[in-house]
Amino acid sequence: MMVQRFQYVRWIGVGLIGCMLGLGGCSAGKAPTATLAKAELAVDQASKSKASEYASLELRTAREHLENAKQAMQQKNYEQARRQAEKALVSAQLAETKAEAASARQTAEELRKSIESLRREAGRSSMKN
Amino acid sequence: MLKRHRSRQYVVLSVMMGASMMGIGCGAKQPSVALESARTAYTQAEQKPQVAANAPTALREAQQALNRAETAWEKDRDETEISHLAYLTEQRVEIAEAIAERELADADRETLSQEREAILREARAREAEQARIEAKRTQREAELALVDRQAAAVQIESLQQQLGALQAKTTMTERGTILTLDSVLFETNEATLKSGALQNLYPLVSFLRENPERTIMIEGHTDSMGDENYNLELSQQRAESVREFLMQNGIEPNRIMARGYGETAPVAPNNTAAGRQQNRRVELVFPN
Repeated sequence: MMVQRFQYVRWIGVGLIGCMLGLGGCSAGKAPTATLAKAELAVDQASKSKASEYASLELRTAREHLENAKQAMQQKNYEQARRQAEKALVSAQLAETKAEAASARQTAEELRKSIESLRREAGRSSMKN
Repeated sequence: MLKRHRSRQYVVLSVMMGASMMGIGCGAKQPSVALESARTAYTQAEQKPQVAANAPTALREAQQALNRAETAWEKDRDETEISHLAYLTEQRVEIAEAIAERELADADRETLSQEREAILREARAREAEQARIEAKRTQREAELALVDRQAAAVQIESLQQQLGALQAKTTMTERGTILTLDSVLFETNEATLKSGALQNLYPLVSFLRENPERTIMIEGHTDSMGDENYNLELSQQRAESVREFLMQNGIEPNRIMARGYGETAPVAPNNTAAGRQQNRRVELVFPN
């Protein structure tokens, strides 16, 4: 009787340590459905923005993380799912923001060129007169 | 009694190992390269004034991400999680920097857009001004030309009066001022000038002498009675007679053109006597 109880305690200890070492199968909680939903929304939004034009690399990264997150969810690997979803979320936001910055820069550049050419035109016509 | 002691020992051992895993009462932690990198990235971004100014919210979110990473490290979570949180931090730092860039570019765009508008406005104003000047110039030129023409017409009207006996009529047209002389200058069917008419043409000579820049086109016309070729020939010869007269009186030949139109250019219907008489004429055209 005593021996059995002792073995029971030992296995609890091992299980506790194993869990803290993050060994597989230890889900550390619930499925990250909210995070995944947020990530999906962010990636969707980024896909519809200028990111496909100006930040295609970041957008692709975001999509890959999202796919990984979904697969991990199916495999009930909730830790991995959460991480991949969080990565997807920031990547999507980064893609969108980078695209906005690039687009604004390009417009500014076009305006600069337009002004330059207008000034040249003005110079030419004033010389004619 | 020995057995109980040993089981308790094993329990204590497990707890101690567990405790050491949680880092309670232990020595130095493992430094995290990923966390260091995230800290550096955040600090660098925080110190950029344009980031702090233009993306404060995003910067705060990056800081919160960094705090989560730091907390994970302090609580000795596993390196995978710490690396993950550090990565999220760096991404959030990049987002803040991208937002700052976007804001600056937007401000740039706004300034440039206004500059461009100003240049366009200026250009349009200049064009409008030039158009106004041009319009005024054209108007002035037209006014001057009109004044010229009117002066010329006055000139010729006085000539007309001087040619009084010949009863000339003055008309202003696009071709110039036209003095219409009756065909009384000539005998019927003749191209020679009557001697009486000759005398009355001298004012024309004086006029052309006094105004050397003036040229004259002499155009002969008939009514439609008789053969049209004959009329053409007659009108031509009559015009040339007048030209001869002028040249004989010293007017340069290159100032005088003579041409017959026969019955091709009537000014009145040929089916009445009055109309026919009107058509029998010599026109002196003074170009503007």
